[in-house]
Amino acid sequence: MEETLKIITGQGFWSPLLWLAAALGILLLAFFLWSRGRREYKRGTEQELPFLSGERAEDPRVGASHLYWGFVEALKPFLNGLRDWHSGVITDYVGWFVVILVVVLLLVL
Amino acid sequence: MSVHAPILAIAVPLLGGFAAPLLARIHRKVRDLWVLLVVFFSGACVGYVAAHILSSGIWVYVLGARNPQETLAPGGFPIRIMLTVDAMSAFMGLIAGFLALVAFPFALKYIPEEEGKTLALTLSLLLLAGILGLAYTGDLFNFFVFLEVTSIAACGIIGFRTWISRAPEAAFKTMVLFSLSGLFFLLASAFLYGEYGALNLAYLSAQIKGTLVDKLALALFLAGLIMKVAAAPVHFWAPDAYGEAPAAKTLLLVVNTQVSLYGLWRVLFTLYGGALSAGVGWLVTSLGLLTMVVAAFMALVQVDLGRLVAYGAVSQIGYMMLGVGVGLVTLAGRPDYGFVAMKGGIFHMLNDALTVGLLFLCVGAVEWTKGTRDLRELGGLGHGLPGVALCFLLASLALAGIPPLNGFASKILIYEGSFRLSPILAAVAVLASILLLAVFARAFHGAFLGPRAEVKEGLPWVFLLSMGALAVGILVLGLVPGFFVEELVAPAAKALWHGRALYLAAVLGG
Amino acid sequence: MIGNLPFVVCMILVALGLWTLIAKRNLVKLVIGMSLVTSGVNLFLVSLGYVRGGIPPIYTYAPAAAPMVLPTPQALTLTSIVIGVATTALMLAFVVVIYRHKGTLDVRKIRDLRG
Repeated sequence: MEETLKIITGQGFWSPLLWLAAALGILLLAFFLWSRGRREYKRGTEQELPFLSGERAEDPRVGASHLYWGFVEALKPFLNGLRDWHSGVITDYVGWFVVILVVVLLLVL
Repeated sequence: MSVHAPILAIAVPLLGGFAAPLLARIHRKVRDLWVLLVVFFSGACVGYVAAHILSSGIWVYVLGARNPQETLAPGGFPIRIMLTVDAMSAFMGLIAGFLALVAFPFALKYIPEEEGKTLALTLSLLLLAGILGLAYTGDLFNFFVFLEVTSIAACGIIGFRTWISRAPEAAFKTMVLFSLSGLFFLLASAFLYGEYGALNLAYLSAQIKGTLVDKLALALFLAGLIMKVAAAPVHFWAPDAYGEAPAAKTLLLVVNTQVSLYGLWRVLFTLYGGALSAGVGWLVTSLGLLTMVVAAFMALVQVDLGRLVAYGAVSQIGYMMLGVGVGLVTLAGRPDYGFVAMKGGIFHMLNDALTVGLLFLCVGAVEWTKGTRDLRELGGLGHGLPGVALCFLLASLALAGIPPLNGFASKILIYEGSFRLSPILAAVAVLASILLLAVFARAFHGAFLGPRAEVKEGLPWVFLLSMGALAVGILVLGLVPGFFVEELVAPAAKALWHGRALYLAAVLGG
Repeated sequence: MIGNLPFVVCMILVALGLWTLIAKRNLVKLVIGMSLVTSGVNLFLVSLGYVRGGIPPIYTYAPAAAPMVLPTPQALTLTSIVIGVATTALMLAFVVVIYRHKGTLDVRKIRDLRG
């Protein structure tokens, strides 16, 4: 029975049920902390809107493509190179197959 | 009857696929019922075979002999084609059987009648037959034949929607690359046949010494199979193929790739068992790392939801290669952590099939509802499609390896096993997981969150049934991983790790 | 006398097919390159069965103690030829459909699926 509830890895074990018990404990703690908060804010007023550096916006929704703007901008050269590598031209793909073939031949022989 | 279960699992989808157009002439419902019957029967055979093997050991079925257990001709030489099913083959068969049971009902509702549904079902049944043939066979040339069967069926399914230009383009590119892989596999088997005069896997495995011809054959096997499993830098066909096939059929394509990966392990562990250099293990491991990283970064910048999930699927193959690659590197000394990593890699095949399958089914449901997969146009579907949104969230968390789901269970085994070999491996794997979590958070946000968008009414209940079956599988595998690791994965990993002698004895010893 | 020459020629044929697949830009020429690789592999398979001084592997009216060429590679090659036919037919079908959509057979212009 023991073996079915957890998996023995090399250095220890992983038991999802223990994890769930721990997560439940942490959730209870978080709920307790949240319940100690202030309740006297007014729903549905300006206090609930997101703060956009003092600007007003009708539809303050961030689209999916803008979510990681900073990360993607910083890696732009690398990502553009990666996209160009996936050129869509079938002859390039066969070329990479020949590269793998040569690498494997050199490795094994 | 039950003594013929392995061959029935392959033959019934094969014949059933060709009977489907004939039955469609009678009535469409007859064809639908027939397809479901065939898939259930094949699944039952697969389950029976797996149960038998896990209790009694390797099952050898000789085709064309009076007694299916009679492997050696008079003279002590195996001359017939045989199916050699050990624990690893049975494991792959189970994955294929379960995913077929989930994918076919979804496909029956998903593909519209006027788009050639009969032919799509025939091709899919052929693909299923080919996949099971690849998993069960014990003969090299038979492996090549089934490899080509799956290639042709898969490319037919990918290029199915000939009225848009993307699908035939994807199918042509995939066909060229699949054909090349198959031909190089055939060339490698021809080298081994020329050297030893046999095509039977077990007989060749006993004869291989490590001569120049053996090494050439190993190189050709590796080149062909590495392309078939979509490892970087020859993974280019996979995003096109997974993205353009009809959503339910992509599950079968994913299983096809995993069975090709099984073929690679069969060649490296069983066929070449002792005569390998550690360099091959390091090649597999480093290609796995490259695949993980390249696919995760490419998924970050996709706008098509289907292609994004496809890149996620490709990156998971990197994890499987990393896990079993660590086992390959340490095959000489066989330390414990090598076995742990192998268990992780093989367990990840099952988890990845369920997770990526669920993601593709969700993408299919979204496409069915909105008619588009472009993330810039989707949004706010969570209100109208709560079940689909929940399944997508569950599958994304599982793919990124968040506890307590099944992705974490296999990834912890891979991380711990590979960490003992080299910390860099585990570090890169964890970073790729984090990147994939970011990618799927973006996908979930873009498709499902936001102000309410109008959706087409009446999502078929079959969609939710199939998605629910996979979601339940993900949760069960995540919450009780020990059972599956001990009962299914450990015998499969053991069959590769030190089961070579048993494999040879089952075919040659009696 | 001929030694390994047939095998070397087959490898050269395969290499020429691979070169065609890399260097040519017309889709139909790519299919031709694919069929060159297939032909090379099939020739390799057939030439594996050669036995010096062998007769065809037919028992009827066979001389008493003559060596026969191996029949198995012939069966393998037939299977491979049939598979090659199916593959070529499927590839050409897709070429026709792509031409109908795009109006061109140049690989560099058929790049909708990139990035």
